[in-house]
Amino acid sequence: MLGYYLRLAWLSLKRTPAITLLMIGAIALGIGATTTTLTVYHRMSTNPIAHRNDVLRAVTLDSWSPDRPWDSDRPELPPPELTYRDAVAIAAGAPASRIVAMRKTSFTADPGAGRPPFLVEARLATRDFFAMFDVPFAYGTGWGGRADQNAEPVVVLSKETNGKLFGGENSVGRALKLDGREYRVIGVLADWQPTPKFYDLNNGEYDTPEDVFLPFALGAALDLQPAGNVNCWKAETLAGVHDLFGSNCVWHQLWAELRTPAEVQRFQGWIDGYVAEQQKLGRFPRKINNRLYDVDQWLERHKVVGRDSRVLLIVSFAFLAVCVLNVVGLLLSRFLGGAGSSAIRRALGASRGEIFRQHLVEVGLVGALAGLGGLALGALGLKALEQLYSSYDRLTHLDLAMVLAAIALAVLAGLLAGLYPAWRICRVQPASYLKTQ
Amino acid sequence: MEIRPILSALLRNRTGALLVGLQVAITLAVIANAFFIIEERLAKIHRPTGIDSPGLIVAESEGYAPDYEHAATLAADLAMLKAIPGVLAVTPTNSVPLSGGGSANTYQLTPDPKAPPIGGNYFEVNSDFVEAFGLKLVAGRNFRPEEYVPVPPNNDLPPVLIVTETMAKTLFGGEPAVGRRIYDNDGKSAEIIGVVSDMHGSWLDNTNPGPYDVVFHPNGGLGKSWRYAIRVRPGERDRLIPEIEKRLNSSGHGRAIPWVRAHDYWLVRTFRADRRMVVFLSTLVILMTAVTALGIVGLATFQVNARRKQIGTRRALGARRADIVRYFLIENGMLGAGGVVIGALLAYVASSWLTRAFQMPPLPPLYVIGSAVALLVLGQLAVLWPARRAGAIDPAVATRTV
Repeated sequence: MLGYYLRLAWLSLKRTPAITLLMIGAIALGIGATTTTLTVYHRMSTNPIAHRNDVLRAVTLDSWSPDRPWDSDRPELPPPELTYRDAVAIAAGAPASRIVAMRKTSFTADPGAGRPPFLVEARLATRDFFAMFDVPFAYGTGWGGRADQNAEPVVVLSKETNGKLFGGENSVGRALKLDGREYRVIGVLADWQPTPKFYDLNNGEYDTPEDVFLPFALGAALDLQPAGNVNCWKAETLAGVHDLFGSNCVWHQLWAELRTPAEVQRFQGWIDGYVAEQQKLGRFPRKINNRLYDVDQWLERHKVVGRDSRVLLIVSFAFLAVCVLNVVGLLLSRFLGGAGSSAIRRALGASRGEIFRQHLVEVGLVGALAGLGGLALGALGLKALEQLYSSYDRLTHLDLAMVLAAIALAVLAGLLAGLYPAWRICRVQPASYLKTQ
Repeated sequence: MEIRPILSALLRNRTGALLVGLQVAITLAVIANAFFIIEERLAKIHRPTGIDSPGLIVAESEGYAPDYEHAATLAADLAMLKAIPGVLAVTPTNSVPLSGGGSANTYQLTPDPKAPPIGGNYFEVNSDFVEAFGLKLVAGRNFRPEEYVPVPPNNDLPPVLIVTETMAKTLFGGEPAVGRRIYDNDGKSAEIIGVVSDMHGSWLDNTNPGPYDVVFHPNGGLGKSWRYAIRVRPGERDRLIPEIEKRLNSSGHGRAIPWVRAHDYWLVRTFRADRRMVVFLSTLVILMTAVTALGIVGLATFQVNARRKQIGTRRALGARRADIVRYFLIENGMLGAGGVVIGALLAYVASSWLTRAFQMPPLPPLYVIGSAVALLVLGQLAVLWPARRAGAIDPAVATRTV
């Protein structure tokens, strides 16, 4: 029966090509707009490490000023980053399955062979970074506890940096000069592009991961300058990078892996105890406010989905609604225009349900065709957005999920538009049409 | 005059009326808010920078060698850059206006650590900064060359400061700023010696400090990463960028030159999101209006075809073409009016959501009224063609069938 309905639908659509094209065009435009905005929204809000969401916690402590909160719009929030000494103390002492203290710095890499030196962004992290965030390696591995303790000069390269420096070959064991010092390559990452960059949302939430990764302890051993945000509330005399380490400025990120609710509770208890201890020493002038966030909550706190994307998403759905209303009007006039033939089919024994289904198949076909058109328009819209986004281009790739969503949305829109007109046409009294023949 | 019969005809065909009315309503709600957002973004994109952006080149220098000498490199760079023909002025700077990255401090009017902190976006520059950024000295004096300290012993406030006009107002209201002292919350203080014309600071959307709350400190920073703001003669910028890059790169000093760029680079980057919003919203507004207009044409055509016999009868009974055309125009006007009223309500619902969720200012009535008038006119234009076709229906139609 479906084949027959499809053939009828095709014939009926061919009979009035102008209106058919208009209907397909209207739905396709609506689908194109929603596909474009949905893709960006979906990409922005996707948790790139959803499979570890439940065990990962971003750790925050309220070490901010006694006179004003970190964020005057949301005064209940502690700052998103930690001081050096708190990050180090918690990483060393707190009970957790895994824990990572980290921050950003930068180096000038000297590729040698007469090539000009270039800037590399670096992440200084304790060893658990790679295991906690499921970072894939192409060659070699990360470092162990000894490298952390002794500030060993070892480095893990991103795939891109390895390509730039060593032509993409296995460079484990090779030497690399950063800021004039020599480091030994012990690992090279495979392709890794978590979007958004959930583990450090304070320094460019859609940036690519750093170019090189080194043991955290190197930062203090060599007084490596910060490359991310440094926020301070207290006037303290700083005579150089070295003084930042003892200051009240926040510039470190801290994550813990806590596998059970009991572990979460024990960890929270430990850091609360730690802050209470510090308060006795005259630090932490605000009341104890230590918060743990899983990745979803962390993305939510940082509002990584900008207001623009939300507004555009809503506007595009409103546009789709207008397109659907439009198609309802077109379908009404089309179906009622062809009421005569439906009346004959009814008179020859077709039931109301059959007439209804036949017309729904017709609008379903319109919806599917519009879905394909909408996808093409959506791809075009994303291409245009890419020009406007540039560095955000990872946000504008159409993936399979979005292709399927677009087609499903189009068919749904078509059916929604067709429901009422099809109902109207199946209620038509055959007699009134047959009389005038 | 003809309102009543038209209304009763409309009520008999409720579905069609509802479809057009709803389209008009949704379209109005969206475009009124969209116009408001577009207007807001355009104002942001075109806000004054206060600097000579077209004539500005910025270069970054990053010391990396163990024997890197910051003060000596700085002095050599400044002498070399200033000697290049076409270069008007050069200042070292820690930050680039409108780049999204910079430094902020809190200042106070009294040494009391409990005094309310006032945010300032500070730029670390030498005495050539007024020329280099293209600012004007409004009151007091500029820094003297010897007041600039390239490598300060620490991050304490320098003895003298210059502020922008807006910052002076933020600090002291209308009172003159020159000669006043400001403090950090550790009791140290600095004297304000001059006021310059407004310069846009590092950040776009901050409120404390605001975009023009800028303070100039006559010293270098603590790190080894530095930038030069280089102002060049009009039209020479694109020629000079590669030359400056080559000269800095070949001068050695154990540092790298990560980039040399026109200041435009940041303007484009900083406003990219707003441009995207303007382009995307405008496109949707145009498409939506077009689809709504098409819907009106479609429905009117359908009505005309469905009422051919009645129209013919009216014509046969003495109605003129103009009467028929007017009938459809009035009918459309009534539909539009209904849609516009519902749309205005929807527009305010949407606006109050935007205000609540995103702290957008409330929608001024002018945008709703303007969009409503535009949609009503568009509706009339859209219905004109089918209405004229209705007017052209032959009175003989009335007699042919029945």
